Amino acid sequence: MTELLKRLTLGSVLCCVIPLLAACGPSRVPSGLVYCSEGNPESFNPQLVTSGTTVDATSQQLYDGLVDYDATSGQLVPSLATAWTISDDERVYTFSLRTGVRFHHSNIFTPTRNFNADDVLFSFNRIIDSTHPYHDVAKNGYPYFQSIGFSELIDNIEKVNDYQVAFHLTQKDASFLSNLATGFAVILSQEYGLQLLQADEPELLDKLAIGTGPFRLVDYVKNDFIRYYRNHHYWRLTPDVEQLVFDITPKSTTRLAKLITGDCNISALPKAGELPVVIDKPNLEVDSIPGFNVAFWAFNTERIPFNDVRVRQALAHAVDKENILRAVYHQTAVEAVGLLPPLSWAYSSNKSLIDYNPEKARKLLNDAGISDLSIDIWAMPVARIYNPNTHKTAELIQADLARIGVKVNIVSYDWSVFNQKLSRQNYDSVLIGWNADNSDPDNFFTPILSCASVDSNSNRSRWCAPEFDRILQAAKSTTDRVERTALYQQAEQYVAEQVPMLPFAHATRMVVKQKRVTQSKLTPFGGISFTKVTPAVVAIEEPN
Amino acid sequence: MARYLARRLNLFFATSLVLFVVMFSVTAKFPVDHTVALTGIHAPTAEEQASINEAYRLDKGQVSQFIAYLEQRLSGNLGISVTSQNPVFNELTAVLSASFELAFVAGAIALLLGIPLGVLASLSKHKITQHTIMAITLTGYSIPVFWLGLSLSLWFGVRLGWLPISGQINLLYEIKPVTGFLLIDILLWDSRYAWSAFVDALQHIVLPAVTLAVLPFTVVVRITRSAMMSIMEKTYIKAAEARGLRTYTIVMRHALPNAFIPVLKNLGLMLGAFASYAIVVEVIFSWPGVGAWLVSGIYQRDYTVIQGGILAVALIIIFLSILIEVLHTAINPLSRKELYAAH
Repeated sequence: MTELLKRLTLGSVLCCVIPLLAACGPSRVPSGLVYCSEGNPESFNPQLVTSGTTVDATSQQLYDGLVDYDATSGQLVPSLATAWTISDDERVYTFSLRTGVRFHHSNIFTPTRNFNADDVLFSFNRIIDSTHPYHDVAKNGYPYFQSIGFSELIDNIEKVNDYQVAFHLTQKDASFLSNLATGFAVILSQEYGLQLLQADEPELLDKLAIGTGPFRLVDYVKNDFIRYYRNHHYWRLTPDVEQLVFDITPKSTTRLAKLITGDCNISALPKAGELPVVIDKPNLEVDSIPGFNVAFWAFNTERIPFNDVRVRQALAHAVDKENILRAVYHQTAVEAVGLLPPLSWAYSSNKSLIDYNPEKARKLLNDAGISDLSIDIWAMPVARIYNPNTHKTAELIQADLARIGVKVNIVSYDWSVFNQKLSRQNYDSVLIGWNADNSDPDNFFTPILSCASVDSNSNRSRWCAPEFDRILQAAKSTTDRVERTALYQQAEQYVAEQVPMLPFAHATRMVVKQKRVTQSKLTPFGGISFTKVTPAVVAIEEPN
Repeated sequence: MARYLARRLNLFFATSLVLFVVMFSVTAKFPVDHTVALTGIHAPTAEEQASINEAYRLDKGQVSQFIAYLEQRLSGNLGISVTSQNPVFNELTAVLSASFELAFVAGAIALLLGIPLGVLASLSKHKITQHTIMAITLTGYSIPVFWLGLSLSLWFGVRLGWLPISGQINLLYEIKPVTGFLLIDILLWDSRYAWSAFVDALQHIVLPAVTLAVLPFTVVVRITRSAMMSIMEKTYIKAAEARGLRTYTIVMRHALPNAFIPVLKNLGLMLGAFASYAIVVEVIFSWPGVGAWLVSGIYQRDYTVIQGGILAVALIIIFLSILIEVLHTAINPLSRKELYAAH
């Protein structure tokens, strides 16, 4: 009997110990970097989308544009175009193209020629020319280019020679180069396009992507991962890491857990409340960059009593922005003095024109002859980069407004229903925000406050001031920065006086990462870049 | 025996047919266009619509439609996923192997630890040992699996950082799928990283497998113990003892095979619970198996994935239950005798 018991015990113990022993070998990991991203890309061609997730996974990894933003200064710098000239009437932009740039190769495509003017024509004609064979391959069109009126802006694109192209515009547009520098204006391979057309599989152009970027696409499994290899022929400095993997992990807490257990090296979009956990861990750190976004509280100026500017001013003066920054953003945002974030070149560091002043608010309400006011605040149900917790923001505003005797009712629906109901325009006020696509200041005004945007429903204040539109138009038709800055400051002033909305925060864009990953490069609008990242794990042997 | 097998096979087909009838009638009730629910193709072109109509005989009566539905599904055409637009069958085979891998490891842990511990509990004369083992198994049986999974990940993953708590392997290892079973594929992988990758995959499977193993483990311990206790009282064991056989021989050769019969039967009864536990575990540990796939399909209203997932899981459970019953009959002389007596 005792012998049997001994054997049984031994057997059980062995079962437990053997797997543990197996783990005690030298651990080797291939050179590479794993980035825990928040979702699936909708396509591998950013021309077809506006979602940040897709831009993250494509623009800076697989492609290059003609021009680019410098990550630190935000200035336009050459990319696939080495230089450009602008005609005197500012309607012809001539680009000189880089020579010796090679496209990626894949199982189904081997490039036989380098990048040249034909590729530029192919990439942009696809968007503007409705007879282009690839134009209709994109089922949902080219949303970013449609929103900025790109097809109407471009008269034609001319191939001057193999390494020179000229864009002829129909009118002056100071934001044209900025728009070319967005992650959406990427260069595709014409040769690949023609080959796929011949094989009668044009839709593969946007799936099995071929570009000139630092990484080439190897494998994509939906809901699981995207795998990239380094592009050995990259025209800039070749990336340090041989392999880049996007680990698609929609849940924020899971991304954090994977970072802690070492399954990923960098993790996207942490919630402000998770940051203390990261700071506690000695091997992790937070990487952040001031965001190019603004969170605001928009009043529906078509409704009573919000059509009265005094009521809007009163409500704006009653909100303690500092408190929101503390409680909602955990100090990961800067206070908004206007719509433009500090990073914009047209920003001016004036003190906020709308200060926190409940006394003044009460007085303004009295002047307007309003008492017993009760309003609805619509709060988005989802976290966005500009506002991680809208519901909490609404509760704070509710408490603030109670102090001046205004009752607040917080309204929320599921995201899709919320969006639908918003476009029906029967709300009092809404907490929402705006994330910029490029560094041009115009991007913070025209899409959200112009008269035209009232019709396209992106003007949440439903506010139309012809005077304001005139300022914006004037600012767009000149390229002189000093002049433009003055005009945008004038626009800011106008918004602060009329208060169609109360901007309260510019949220910081953040990733959390292992400390040994030294140089992941966050850019405020163009997604994340990994070209200068040093290898996190080089085939090292270390005792486990 | 042949007749018995034929009857079991018949049972399998009859149950599956009922399953298909249920799936067929539910598909018609999905709150989307009937063609989308059947094929997953959004806004089909006129030609596609015509071929769908023909394949599923949508212009014919219900019975004819059902037969067409059965033909399509049985030939492996489960439609394409509404969200990813890939064939559901391909996605299903990819996730099924991950689930089988997890279930196999969990089952192995449960049996390899559970049976010895059950025998130990039955043979031990110490009240303390017996009570401890029973207390542990009762606790294990009562712990909700989602709580256990989350606690294990909190302690061993987040706090201690010993074990990974999400996914199947570090994605930097690029394993070429050969069999679909990751652990086997790694062993077939010709690379200097193969051993590290194997260890990494083992570490990834520890927490989900342990979590999933707790329920079958406790059941195995308790059933083994009660079966052994009753068998050890049997006269043939007494006779063996009287003949002077060693305890080891008595237990291993004479008692345990018989004690295993009720264990097997209970394993068969537990399959349904085991499958639903597996779904919860896969979601908690982001294990890329059929459970996590099915749940994400439900969230995304991916009707073809939901159908494919339910069909696959249900068919597997029906098949395994019947298989276990057949095995039970095959190794159990008593039930064979009943069988013959009945006919």
